Amino acid sequence: MTQSALPIEEQHARFQALVLPHLDRLLRFAQRRTSSVGDAEDAVQDTCIKAWLCFADLRDAEKARPWLYRILRSVLSDVSEKSDRRRQLVDITRLEQAHEELIGGDTDVVFSEVAARLDSEMLAKALTLIPEDFATAVELHDIDGFKYHEIAEIAGIPIGTVMSRISRGRRLLAGTIIANRRAWGLGTTDAQKPSARARIGGDRSAQ
Amino acid sequence: MSDLHLNFGAQPNERPGDDDAREARHQVLATLLGAYADGELPPETASQIDAHLLGCARCRREVELHAVVSARLSREPQVLASSTFRDRVMQEIAETRLPSAPRATASRAWWQSPRIGVGAALIVLALTAALSSTRWRQDAVRARPVSARVDAVAVPLFVAILDDYRRVMAGDLPGRARDLDAVRAAVPFPVQPLRGAGASLLAAWSTDLRGEPAAVLAYRWHDRLVLEYLVAEPVFFRHPGLRAPIAAGQLVSAVSSPQGLLAWAAPQSGAILVGDVAPDELSALRVGDAVR
Repeated sequence: MTQSALPIEEQHARFQALVLPHLDRLLRFAQRRTSSVGDAEDAVQDTCIKAWLCFADLRDAEKARPWLYRILRSVLSDVSEKSDRRRQLVDITRLEQAHEELIGGDTDVVFSEVAARLDSEMLAKALTLIPEDFATAVELHDIDGFKYHEIAEIAGIPIGTVMSRISRGRRLLAGTIIANRRAWGLGTTDAQKPSARARIGGDRSAQ
Repeated sequence: MSDLHLNFGAQPNERPGDDDAREARHQVLATLLGAYADGELPPETASQIDAHLLGCARCRREVELHAVVSARLSREPQVLASSTFRDRVMQEIAETRLPSAPRATASRAWWQSPRIGVGAALIVLALTAALSSTRWRQDAVRARPVSARVDAVAVPLFVAILDDYRRVMAGDLPGRARDLDAVRAAVPFPVQPLRGAGASLLAAWSTDLRGEPAAVLAYRWHDRLVLEYLVAEPVFFRHPGLRAPIAAGQLVSAVSSPQGLLAWAAPQSGAILVGDVAPDELSALRVGDAVR
């Protein structure tokens, strides 16, 4: 029996079983892309209604979560046109330079320690300071726990593009954190450490 | 990624201190190290990177950076949707009628109010009966946008699609339905099969239409074969014959006997159905594809 052939009560029950468990995650994803909790809730509610209207399209229950994220991204893309979240220009060159200094061994900053001091608010701010496409790919993998092939499906991009966006996104995110560490009160250098050249993790010997 | 043939070690003719060659290799690696850290690379590629990392402190630091960033992000706390919000969502769902299903639970209708007399309710029922056929006709029009008919030979994209369609139909289908993932990886826009009633996906392949990449999905529909071509937005919106009706919210149809074509804008792409079918009939294949 097809989805649409089920009695409406059964369709409601199935929809609740497949969609409600993901509301928390959808809301978290939306909150990082909207200016208030209310806007995020509105976006998730719109997502659920759109999902309900095309519920018959969901053939594989295992794919409910990426399917919902795909719809949510579509809803949020409409919302973002009204928002100024990312209207500021991103100085990618400056962020890449900070990343290069970190990787090339030109700084004494211990990145793992800086990252450990980063609170959620700072992290959310850092994610808004890198291009949206990169931030989304990184968040979908690292925060929301999607595999690369699922991200490709959600974003509608080839898996090779997912790889490059996640790689570059994390590099830019690290560069953003390092570039803003003083302003965010995350400390400056770690020259007093015995292994001052262990720049990513604090407990490795010189390389 | 299994067809990657990479060599991350020093090249035979590379001189010590050849920074440009080393940097070029690192640029290639930079796009893969995140996937390496996440265990998302095929084993043979991961093994090559393992070997490279043995002699490259810079890339080892890069992999470690990926692990640190990923670990920090993974510790982000969960947000809990309030029970009020959950109730609100489910109430909205309960009140949203599915396109082909009756309303499940309606909130109390205004004619149920004790303030409205039985007589008034009867008048409303009579009016409703008189107007119902008109309303359903209006709903039907809304559900199926009116299509604008254009001259097939006046739109270069349609001409290219008709040429390709006729070439394909003269031989065996070039793909299989299980190639869909490969097709998705080959084109820079989403590829989502149609779910219209009675349609089943038989095959998928990628092609090029006069140099432009396209995805092709073949459907069996009422024992006929219908092809759907998906092309990138810049290709779809290139010709004014398509742009103007799409901007007006219409589908675009064309006939080049015996073939009919039906086109519409899809996410990051344009979709064109073609078959030995009248365009009006083709529109039935789109029913239920609200996301697209």
